[in-house]
This record gives sequence, structure tokens and C-alpha cells, in this order.
Amino acid sequence: MAEPINLERTKNSPEIILDKENAIFKISGRSIVEDPKEFYTPVYNWLEEYVKAPLDRTNFIIDLEYFNSSSARQIMELIMLLEKIPETGNKVKVSWLYEEGDEMSRERGDEIKMVSKLDFEIKEYPSEDY
Amino acid sequence: MTTNTIYQFYRLLEKDTISFSYRGSFSNNVLTMVTQLFKDNVEEKHERLRNKLSFLMIESFQNIARYADTGEKTMPDETSEFFMTRNVGDTFYVISANLIDNDKIPTVKEKLDRVNTLDKSELNKLYREVLTNKQINEKGGAGLGFIEMVRKTKGKLPYDFVKISPEQSMFFMQIELRNPKTDDGLPPVSLDDAKQIQALVAQENILMMHKGDFSEEAVGPMLRMVEENMQNISLKVHKKIFHFLVEILQNISKHSYPINNKHEGIFQIGYENDKFHIGTGNFIAANEVENLKEQLDSVNSKTVEELNEMYRKYLREGKTTKSGSAGLGLIDLARETDDKINYEFIKVNDTYSFFSLTVKF
Repeated sequence: MAEPINLERTKNSPEIILDKENAIFKISGRSIVEDPKEFYTPVYNWLEEYVKAPLDRTNFIIDLEYFNSSSARQIMELIMLLEKIPETGNKVKVSWLYEEGDEMSRERGDEIKMVSKLDFEIKEYPSEDY
Repeated sequence: MTTNTIYQFYRLLEKDTISFSYRGSFSNNVLTMVTQLFKDNVEEKHERLRNKLSFLMIESFQNIARYADTGEKTMPDETSEFFMTRNVGDTFYVISANLIDNDKIPTVKEKLDRVNTLDKSELNKLYREVLTNKQINEKGGAGLGFIEMVRKTKGKLPYDFVKISPEQSMFFMQIELRNPKTDDGLPPVSLDDAKQIQALVAQENILMMHKGDFSEEAVGPMLRMVEENMQNISLKVHKKIFHFLVEILQNISKHSYPINNKHEGIFQIGYENDKFHIGTGNFIAANEVENLKEQLDSVNSKTVEELNEMYRKYLREGKTTKSGSAGLGLIDLARETDDKINYEFIKVNDTYSFFSLTVKF
């Protein structure tokens, strides 16, 4: 089994956990890196291997407060990889989380849902201020 | 805010290696970010001045917060407090402007004239006297701040009072911190220069303006400062501004024409007619002008629905290589901005042009 990916959150890049053994697949924080292609390449490579032999159920969580347009492309690339999972007879779902009142994140989620071919849920969570 | 005034501002600040101006609420959060911005961006040869500069910025900024005779305002206007720090040649300037009641002017003037005429030992003596004086006013200093400014800079404090009503005036003051090790021999930039900038910033309803190097490292602190300063506006608007600011500033850092290895640029945030405006200006290589213009015209001519469709197609298929086809960033900007993307190219020479852009949300 491939070593899990565990990237810590920075000022410009998200926390990413891809852990098959513990069934955690999550991207959270902000993704405003200037060169997302370089940043996401190891993530892409890991996932490319994973989708060949995935778990029965994969719940991929995306909880991004900000992402720049070049990151949007890279996130879409990851989602398109996940679209290969159903071909192996296994299940996959994307959970797009956004903070209450954050219409922009919700709209961005709606848009990605529209172009993806996956089971895709969009879920609000309460604002941290309350 | 217009594409043309962005260029005017750029010309006014042409000699500034870095400059930052601000109007609005003077909270400690903003202060922390502004000092950080300069700490991160001061050139190596001025490194020894860093702490002094931070001290002077804090002193000046807090003076505004403490002494300005301004009532509660929801949005800044032409008499709002103004703060600016600029580096021109080997000198740093910290400028403040705020409303003051006319009846207080003689006292302030007297304190300033006193510190401006004393020599070093006289200043030290005055400092000790004021420090041990029991009649320190309740706002925290009988001119101690002024004495410190002069002691720290070994210079004068140019000032001016501009009467705006029978009751009040705008009080302008400039602190000048010269690097003694690298004297450029340039005459100091006059306070009138800053007064002109303040007037124009107010007239154009600009809240924040930064001119400097827009390389990746410089963009970070700038973004954090804007973010910090937007805490009291709705999450929806705040997110949108931040999102596009990232997009636009990163574009400057990536695509602007470097001069002396620097990605020089200017950016402004303003508030006008219930909308936030973002304006930027930077240089662009002459041979890229046509292509960029084509992309801008292309996204500007499309409806929001068409842009949405383009964006979604692009998300799945990625970059097309056709020249003149806009990237995700521009498509996104065009569909979200109120009205369209305003832009202007001003030819500087055969090698590069000045490109300015404004959008509003």
C-alpha cells in the first residue's frame, strides 16, 4: 500500500491527507499557491495509483475557503481521477464543505458538481464565530 | 477610480521603491500588518533601519488613532485619517494626516516648533524633563512622541495645517528617516508631495494603495493585510474581494514586465457607490499587448452565461493553446465583476507599456 500523503497547511496551501488505511481523503484550508501544478503533482500521482485499487467506499472531502483559478484546474484534475473509481465496481462520493454564509464557496462547489460525473454533496457547516 | 488615474498615481510614486497609503479605521491589526509589510520588503541595504522604521510607523499610526478629532464615520471621506509610508532613495517617510480642532493647533504647533529647533543634547534634556513631569496629559504624552521621532531620525518634522472649516483643519506631518550609511544625496521629498497624494487618494475614494515589487513573496503580506482589514464587511463580499485580489496580484507577479529584476506594480482598493473597486497597474512587454487586449475584449464581449459555459468547459479540458484565448482567471474575473473589466494600455517605450485595470464588486 502506498505511503499516505500528509501535507500540512501553510499560508498559501491546503492541508491534504490521503490515507487509504484509515480511509481519510481530505483537502482543507486555502489553495492560492502560484504554481499549483507543481504543488498538486505528488497528490495527483498518489491518487492515480489509488483509483486502480480503491476501497469499497471512498468519501473525498473538500473544504476550501479559497482557491485560485489555477488551483481550480488542479482540483478538477483530481476529481476526474476519482471518476475512474466506479469502473472498478467501487463507490465514491465527493463532499464539498463550506462555512455558513460563504456563498462563494458554495457557488464554486455547485459549479464543480455540475461538471463532474460523481456523486457530489454540498454541505454547509456552522460559522466558527458562533 | 479609473484606469487613467492609476497611471497618474504610478507617476506620482515613480521614485518610490515601496510605498503604502491607507485611509480608514486605525486598528492595531492594520498596524501590525503594515509594519510587517515593510519589514518583509525593506531592501537589504536598509536592514539596519528596520526596527527604527517600525517604531516610527507605530508612533505615527497610534498618534492618528489617539489624537484625531474625527467623529464616528461608517466610510472614509476626504477628511478621514490618512497614513502613508514610502521609501524614496535612501530615505523612508512616514506621513500622517488627521482632523484636528482649530483651537488645539497653537499647542501642537508650539511642541513641533520646539522639537524642530533643539539640538541633540537639548532634546535629551527635554525628554527627561517631560518624562518626569507629572502633568502628562491623559492621552499619553506631552509631546514625548514628537521628541522621540526627532531623536530617532536626527531630522526635522515638516508639518502643515490645512483649514477645512471654521472649527477644524487637516494636520499633516512627515517623519523622515535617512539611511546615514548610504546617503543618496537626493533632496528630501517634500510634504507637499504627500499632501497631493492624500488629496487624490481621497478624491478617488481609495482606501488602500500599494506600490512596489509584486513578486510572490511580496504579495503574501499584502493579501493578509487586506484580509485582516476586511473583517467587518460581509463574508460574501470579503471572499469575493480576496479571491480576485489573489488572482490579479498573482497575475502581476507572473506576467508583468520586470524592470531591474522587479515586478513593479501598483494596486488600489477603493469604495465608491456601494461597490468595492480594485485597480492595478503594471508594465507589460510590448509584444504581449495585442494578445492580452484580444483576451480582454473577448471576455468583455461575452454574456455571463457564455462565460460560465467557457469556465466549465475549461475546468474539465484545461488550457487551450490558441493565442488570444483567455485563461480561467480572466474568464472568472469577467463573469463576476459588476459591468466589465476596464483596462488601458499606455505605451511607455518600444519595449514595454503600462497596463492598468479596474474591476468592481
